[in-house]
Amino acid sequence: MYERRAELDSAKREMTHFLRTQKVKRKYFKYMLFFSVLGLIIFFPTGCGKAQSDETLQSDSITCVNDLTGKNIGVQIGTIGDTYASDYEGDEAGTRITRFNKGADAVQALKQNKIDCVIIDEQPAKSFINKNKELVILEEEFAIEDYAICISKENTELKNKINKALNELKEDGTLADIINNYIGDDTKGKTPYVSPEDTTRENGTLTMATNVAFPPYEYYENGVATGIDVDLSQAVADKLGMELVISDIEFDSIIIAVQTGKADIGVAGMTVTEDRLKNIDFTDSYTTSKQVIIVNSGTSAAKMSFKDRLYQSFIEDARWKYIPRGLKNTIMITLFAGMIGIILGFLLAVIRVAHDRNGEGGVVLNIFNTFARIYLTVFRGTPVMVQLLIMYYIVFAAMKVDPVIAAVLAFGLNSAAYVAEAVRAGIISIEIGQFEAGRSLGFTYGQTMWHIIMPQAIKNSLPAMCNEFISLLKESSIVGYIGLVDLTKAGDIIRSNTYEAMIPLCSVALVYLVIVMVMTAGVSRLERRLKKDVR
Amino acid sequence: MYDKEVLIEVKDLCKSYGEHMVLDHITTQIHKGEVIAIVGPSGCGKSTFLRSLNLLEHPDSGAIIFEGTDITDKKVNVNRVREKIGMVFQQFNLFPNMTVKENIMLAPVKLKVMSKVEASAKADELLTRVGLLEKADAYPTNLSGGQKQRIAIARTMAMNPDVILFDEPTSALDPEMVGEVLEIMKELAKEGMTMVVVTHEMGFAREVATRVIFIDEKNIREDSVPEEFFENPKNQRLKEFLSKVR
Repeated sequence: MYERRAELDSAKREMTHFLRTQKVKRKYFKYMLFFSVLGLIIFFPTGCGKAQSDETLQSDSITCVNDLTGKNIGVQIGTIGDTYASDYEGDEAGTRITRFNKGADAVQALKQNKIDCVIIDEQPAKSFINKNKELVILEEEFAIEDYAICISKENTELKNKINKALNELKEDGTLADIINNYIGDDTKGKTPYVSPEDTTRENGTLTMATNVAFPPYEYYENGVATGIDVDLSQAVADKLGMELVISDIEFDSIIIAVQTGKADIGVAGMTVTEDRLKNIDFTDSYTTSKQVIIVNSGTSAAKMSFKDRLYQSFIEDARWKYIPRGLKNTIMITLFAGMIGIILGFLLAVIRVAHDRNGEGGVVLNIFNTFARIYLTVFRGTPVMVQLLIMYYIVFAAMKVDPVIAAVLAFGLNSAAYVAEAVRAGIISIEIGQFEAGRSLGFTYGQTMWHIIMPQAIKNSLPAMCNEFISLLKESSIVGYIGLVDLTKAGDIIRSNTYEAMIPLCSVALVYLVIVMVMTAGVSRLERRLKKDVR
Repeated sequence: MYDKEVLIEVKDLCKSYGEHMVLDHITTQIHKGEVIAIVGPSGCGKSTFLRSLNLLEHPDSGAIIFEGTDITDKKVNVNRVREKIGMVFQQFNLFPNMTVKENIMLAPVKLKVMSKVEASAKADELLTRVGLLEKADAYPTNLSGGQKQRIAIARTMAMNPDVILFDEPTSALDPEMVGEVLEIMKELAKEGMTMVVVTHEMGFAREVATRVIFIDEKNIREDSVPEEFFENPKNQRLKEFLSKVR
């Protein structure tokens, strides 16, 4: 008996000690987590780089067009390269086509041997292999093709004006100067385009849709879109007395953007084809190009050190500046969409609860409730990505609206549906007795809601709402699709300029992670403050 | 003893839940200063009857005339009426996110019956009366059941009601706390407050009530002064009921 008592006592002591150390451990867990993430981000690239350089190269490489069959061909979606490659797709040899949003993404995949070759326009190909020494262009070439500016079929007046301007630019040599400024080793950088001094901007704006990842036609330099197409459009705008606005969107969205009036013209090294002419009109050609094939030669270029890669990603050309610029948009969209979500979400929740709790509401409440239910079904039942595109290309089709506003509205309306359900769950978790106590004291339905139910319901729905805003922040990463530079797109721009994936992607991930951690900490604090009653 | 002013008159009150009829043409009068105990087997409709008096349950037909106006009339502002009819619940229903004092002051201040200063003074006075002044800044979770119910009584008193409805006020309490709540109710009765109490406390009904009502089978089956009610019950069901609860 006595022995057992002693045993128990020592067990108890051990337990207390264990619990105490656990408490301390928990305290440091947060920091441990943070540093392990940081460590992962720093050390991962080193390990990864090694694995990549050891990779064995493919033996059956491509040397001519005939070798394409049975291979995995990379193209940029919607380009002429895509059209050519599609002829091979589904053949007996099992040729596969991988379609990328950007030419630069295709090149990156090629570098990592994820695909066997890339079919792309000649000048971008040259610019890509310039920066990536292991890539080579095959000598065999496809047909010569014409680049032109695309424009809505209804806008013949503008088309005529642009054709006239193009003609003048060709005759006075400006066009040749612009092209030579970017192409040709002897002439590069010698004849930069400068707007004439007497240029006026009294005829409004000229919005140019393009995909700024297609050097030398369009690419970012020091945070500014530049290239042949950009200078050419600037020269045209100068001739027309208009202000040039650049909208950077996915290549396969350019024609839609021009069709729906989101942009006046599309200038993106775009070849005139029969298919495209069905949907859109083109101006006269301003230059010619051809398609070429890029392959990985296997002569691996000298590996850059991690420090150099950091330098290239952030310091060179002041590329770090894309991050704060993108962050600003990400935060703005999250913040304002969150506000719309909260206000509209509360309204929807109150309507739903009012209808479910008291049948005396009548016809008006029934109509509102039906509307709320349809709203919730539609917005929770479709992808936010599709909602965003619908908002931008269909709802605002006729209006020239800042894409930020379209994004804020799309995300706000989507978020409202989720907030509404969170708040509704919060409200119905409050005992009916609370409601009856309020009513029996003489409060109206609305006063009872406002003074008694809501303060408690909000507290209950805080965790779910916090979740919703975390998703909102992360989901906002798709706004690149409507031409906005957010945090994700900022990383993408750095990636397509440097062909370095790890550093920009991990940095962007880290920034998101930090914001989410700050948000979570804020909500926890708020929860603690509201929890005073159960202390 | 019914020479006093009629406060609430109930006429042919009917209520059903779907097919199930709960109250079938109940008619009675409640006079100023009366303390009415309502007893009956569970599920007999006594709570529904009580909750009909301040329209927490909306009757299907019949009239409830409070201080001269039929409050079942759609045109009557039921919120103004409820300010005058206090209610105490079985589950207390204190607001958990507010302190005791905030619970008491909320309705008088927000409904603009009193200024903040007046309401605060009133709350202190009521807290003293229920013996819980030192709990003014506590939150409901830190109170015992008996203390919660005393606060709930103070909360409804803060609106200066003309009548207070008690819906099984001691049923959710541990036995040792029943006494403190009944004590407060006794004092209220002594001061002349009109009270309608649905209860299982036969002792309270016998000692404090001026009238006891037995509801069974959808209607009032016995309605008399306590001595008569307990010593000489006439209804057969009441006799059975009393033999069981005694």
